Amino acid sequence: MRVTADRERCVGSGQCELLAPEVFEVDDDGAVRVLQPEPDDDAAVRDAVQQCPTGALSLEG
Amino acid sequence: MTVAPEGVAPEDVAPEDVAPEDVAPEDVAPEDVAPEDVDLASVDLSDRTWWTTPPAYRHAAFDRLRRERPFAFFAEPDIPGIPAGPGYHAVTRYADLEAISSQPAVFCSGRGAVSMQDVPAELHEFFGSLISMDDPRHAKIRRIVSKTFTPRMLERTLDSVRAIVDDVLARTRAKAEAGDGTIDVVADIAAPIPLRVICDMMGVPEQDRPGVLANSNIVLSGGDPELIENDDPLTAFLTAGMEMAALMERLAAERMTDPRDDLTTALVRSEVDGEKLSHQEIASFFILLLVAGNETTRNAISQGLLALAEHPDQRARWAADPGLDRTGVEEVVRWVSPVTWMRRTATQDGEINGLRFTAGEKFLLFYAAANRDPAVFADPQRFDVGRDPNPHVGFGSKGPHFCLGAHLARRELQVTFRAIFDQLPDLEVTGPPDRLASSFVNGLKRLPARLGGDG
Repeated sequence: MRVTADRERCVGSGQCELLAPEVFEVDDDGAVRVLQPEPDDDAAVRDAVQQCPTGALSLEG
Repeated sequence: MTVAPEGVAPEDVAPEDVAPEDVAPEDVAPEDVAPEDVDLASVDLSDRTWWTTPPAYRHAAFDRLRRERPFAFFAEPDIPGIPAGPGYHAVTRYADLEAISSQPAVFCSGRGAVSMQDVPAELHEFFGSLISMDDPRHAKIRRIVSKTFTPRMLERTLDSVRAIVDDVLARTRAKAEAGDGTIDVVADIAAPIPLRVICDMMGVPEQDRPGVLANSNIVLSGGDPELIENDDPLTAFLTAGMEMAALMERLAAERMTDPRDDLTTALVRSEVDGEKLSHQEIASFFILLLVAGNETTRNAISQGLLALAEHPDQRARWAADPGLDRTGVEEVVRWVSPVTWMRRTATQDGEINGLRFTAGEKFLLFYAAANRDPAVFADPQRFDVGRDPNPHVGFGSKGPHFCLGAHLARRELQVTFRAIFDQLPDLEVTGPPDRLASSFVNGLKRLPARLGGDG
């Protein structure tokens, strides 16, 4: 499973960080940073990608 | 069966006259109002007084609208000084709301997101700031603040939030003990906590805080005559806005020469595309934070405590299990939906889930209705502090305008409810709430309660 983030679309709502803090973090620029681009397959990570308000996160594999 | 609106004006009933068993007679249990009991022809979402009818009645009406008229059209209310526009579609289905909210280019916010009427752009940007702005400008300005509201940053403020909550509850206890035990949940608990938290973050001095509270009440009064007093609503809004802007100008000037570790300093120092934010932009942002950071959390606290009083089994369950703090707060936000709606305006002709629309048509996204949509929530009229998953839209739906303060609100509410269970276990709601006559904010003006009763 591979996670990517579009930092231009991100508005820094931090919903992903709330659901999967080990994988996502809103950084000092107010946009998401992917801490683990290839996390273990995990429901929380999938939820985070699916629930992103601006659709800034994508999942492959 | 018919349900009358609140028949008894709160000032007619002294708190001591209301026995606990008479709790909230207007808060009829949802199962007691069938959607079929609602006369759909009498439902006018533009009528401020309709919003003081019992919540069970309103939700029954939303059930009917969702089922039968999912894009019901309503005329806009008359407000002196503002021409009434063409009307709006009331969006009540979760799926429709999400579809509109997630297409900001087709359904924009820049023509007004917080008023049914079109108001001059300067006015709605002044009061709505980011809320009434579209990308790319919205995204740029939002970034400045979103850094301050990340989960990581907010963990650092958690200790001060706890200290504020403990102090407010201690004062409430002292007030009850000094008197006959009666308190007002709104004035004593729900109002001061978020006000102090947001004023701390912004660095608002103690002596300016009562003015901030009074002015934010007016801006979000929805025209409720009790809060507007002698002025017409438009004049009152403008005066309140001017006073808050003047406070911001003063604080901003102070921070330019004497920077501190607060949000106001971050705002005056920040730049968008190499330009500093204008004083007006800073002032309207400040108004947004003060107003949005105050009223919404206040109403989640007061209405959450009311919901817990009406569902004693859920209160006992949550109080006994701190593991429910997360789901409990999410359920309070779903149940209360502190912000009832936001508006979008079509930028082009199109079709959405069967509805053809033309450019300029308005849509009001009724979060309160979507949050009880049976297509998404099992048994939606049941208050369940363990509900999980709970994909409510109480902080907004998909799209770039998702609530900036969601994390702050969640942490604040989790701390507050846990502290109330621990420190005010004897808190007992003793009478019906006095509801704010506003379609926009689901507010309580008063909620009588008692501490130290015999149970």
